[in-house]
Amino acid sequence: MLRYLRLLGQWALDWIGALGRASAVWFRSMAGLPRRGDMTLLLKQVYQIGVLSLIIIVLSAFSIGAVLALQGYTQLARVGAEESVGLGVALVLLRELGPVVTGLLFAGRAGSAVTAEIGLMKATDQLSAMEMMGVDPLHRIIAPRLWAGMICMPLLTAIFNAVAIGGSAIVGVDWLGVDAGGFWGGMQDGVQRWEDIGKGMVKAGVFGVVISWIAVFQGYDSTPTAEGISVATTKTVVYSSVAVLALDFLLTLVMYGDFN
Amino acid sequence: MIRMRTIEISVGAFVLAGILCLVFLAFRVSGVGVGDTSGSYLLNAKFNDVAGLRVRSKVSLAGVTIGRVAKIGVDSETAEALVTMQVSQDVANLPVDTGARIQTEGFLGGRYISLIPGGEEQVLHNGDTITNTQGAIGLEGLIDTFISKMGSK
Amino acid sequence: MPVWDRAASRGQGRPIRWGMPSHCKARPSARLARVPYAAMSVSDGIVRAPNRLSCWATHQVTDNLIEIEGLRFVRGDRIIFDGLDLVVPRGSITALMGPSGTGKTTLLQIIGGQIRPDSGRVIVDGHDVPKLSRDELFELRRNMGMLFQSSALFTDISVFENVAFPLRAHTNLPDEMIRDLVLMKLNAVGLRGARDLMPSQLSGGMSRRVALARTIALDPKFIMYDEPFTGQDPIAMGVLVSLIRGLNESLAMTSLVVSHDIHETASIADQMYIISDGRVIGEGSPKELRDHPSTMVRQFMLGSPDGPVPFHYPADTFLDDVMGDA
Repeated sequence: MLRYLRLLGQWALDWIGALGRASAVWFRSMAGLPRRGDMTLLLKQVYQIGVLSLIIIVLSAFSIGAVLALQGYTQLARVGAEESVGLGVALVLLRELGPVVTGLLFAGRAGSAVTAEIGLMKATDQLSAMEMMGVDPLHRIIAPRLWAGMICMPLLTAIFNAVAIGGSAIVGVDWLGVDAGGFWGGMQDGVQRWEDIGKGMVKAGVFGVVISWIAVFQGYDSTPTAEGISVATTKTVVYSSVAVLALDFLLTLVMYGDFN
Repeated sequence: MIRMRTIEISVGAFVLAGILCLVFLAFRVSGVGVGDTSGSYLLNAKFNDVAGLRVRSKVSLAGVTIGRVAKIGVDSETAEALVTMQVSQDVANLPVDTGARIQTEGFLGGRYISLIPGGEEQVLHNGDTITNTQGAIGLEGLIDTFISKMGSK
Repeated sequence: MPVWDRAASRGQGRPIRWGMPSHCKARPSARLARVPYAAMSVSDGIVRAPNRLSCWATHQVTDNLIEIEGLRFVRGDRIIFDGLDLVVPRGSITALMGPSGTGKTTLLQIIGGQIRPDSGRVIVDGHDVPKLSRDELFELRRNMGMLFQSSALFTDISVFENVAFPLRAHTNLPDEMIRDLVLMKLNAVGLRGARDLMPSQLSGGMSRRVALARTIALDPKFIMYDEPFTGQDPIAMGVLVSLIRGLNESLAMTSLVVSHDIHETASIADQMYIISDGRVIGEGSPKELRDHPSTMVRQFMLGSPDGPVPFHYPADTFLDDVMGDA
């Protein structure tokens, strides 16, 4: 019994320690003032993290939008409300699916790549070498990746939402024959700019911060061996996914909680 | 190693695409500014019962959405519900004897306020109160009435 | 915990100027710009380099770029260093040798301030490294170079950009001047023609030479070499040996070489330290060490497979082990 208690204590201490280190990494990276050449570093990371994630984001968005339209149509057509399919799809996407699915895909595509890259840099002494050259890897390596993650997530989410709604329109209007006026009109009637679009983007921003934070920290804190990097990469995907889902619930509660 | 030029161009295109998508969402997907307060004015109405009505419920005129419910409170003097509505400036010529009725969308749908224009010359202004109102008749109430009538026979 | 987190910063940034502490400048005559190679071969039975004797006795830090005193470092349950003393005279090539796993690389990390020791003084050019703040450390490191065993080239940029990296990071030189400097450094290691290659296209020996060019890009006063000869073919090894010697002389640098390769190292070192079990077991010129009274030192210098450092990892006797199940 005491042994399990001790294990629990150790586990808790490990977690608190990791959280402390992660916070130190975050604050130290974000604290530095921009220097000459930082813009180039940021651009490269936006390319690596954002542009290269586009294909998977667009493909997933299109198929999710199309599927939502199909499923929504079959259910709503039974009560003769197939024109609400546009509104239903848009609300589900803007409020929940857009930020969450983009977050999950982002963690799997960009987060894992960032962790593996930083872990490999650590394993091949590149981070150490940088330190010994008097260049702070937190500023040079970590900070641009954090910023790029925070910039890319909202942009990717906006693209995801637009493409998914486009996909649902193609399936709903062009294929299943829902009246275009009713489809778009119902959407415009029910979707509110701040309530639905704005708050969805806030979620995306928060997810961007958290995922990129987890990704860089796991890489930075990884054991510099082949096994250590693979463990860190897995951790990034698992922790970010859980964090996205849990935070989504919390944010929904906080932002849409004023039901009266 | 990809050349810096390629990176710059593709990042620029990516950011532009993101912003265009946001614009698309804001103007093609979302409503024509019902949520914003710029082109609208406030009207009050007192109801004896607003059960089922919520903040952001629709306010409609002849079946067209012209506004939203902004606030629901209680008038402590008359013990009535005081509803504040945000109505689009496009319909600024509602007569003073306009009526307000709480109705149900579809069979079990949400509640909304339906405005029925009267015939007076004078019009309602920002902050005016509609007096000719009819509160919510709940489905439950209807069923109760129906059952009690059946029982008394 | 990553090593760089341990070197956490605290306190206000006190500017560090590379140079001698002011109290040392009072006695410039005590400085030895370079330990004469000939003076090292004193074989009077005292296993100590003469410069060390002179400076240690009078506590003159001016002669020595690095002074380590009573260093103690424990990792987990293992004691890595237990009262280690070591000095690196200015302008010398000092070699650090010892069996694998004696923490030679760890020592370099302590000197570079990436790891904090548990106790002991680590003075680098008059600065007590473990007491420096993070900012001060980064300042100090601009005058230090370190050649990593793995070369540690940045894999996402070309050879040219690798060498240009420290220049771009620490100077505001115009592009043309950086180009000239990089080509100069690459020329020094004979790889001017390889400037456009990526690190993945280089052989082991070439990447180490590129790493060396990067290390000397800012003309450091002091370079630490971590196993520079490991895994090199004989030709590459010869090239590296002559490069290290040449750089040390032409740029008036101080070098600390950690290595297993006894012959190559002995051929360039002015003085050598042999470490075992967390302490220095032998020190002096290569020649002195070959005639060292300690059998352990001689075993190491001659490379005999068995001796005081046993061939076998501690175990029960072979017979017991084999017959154990019977």
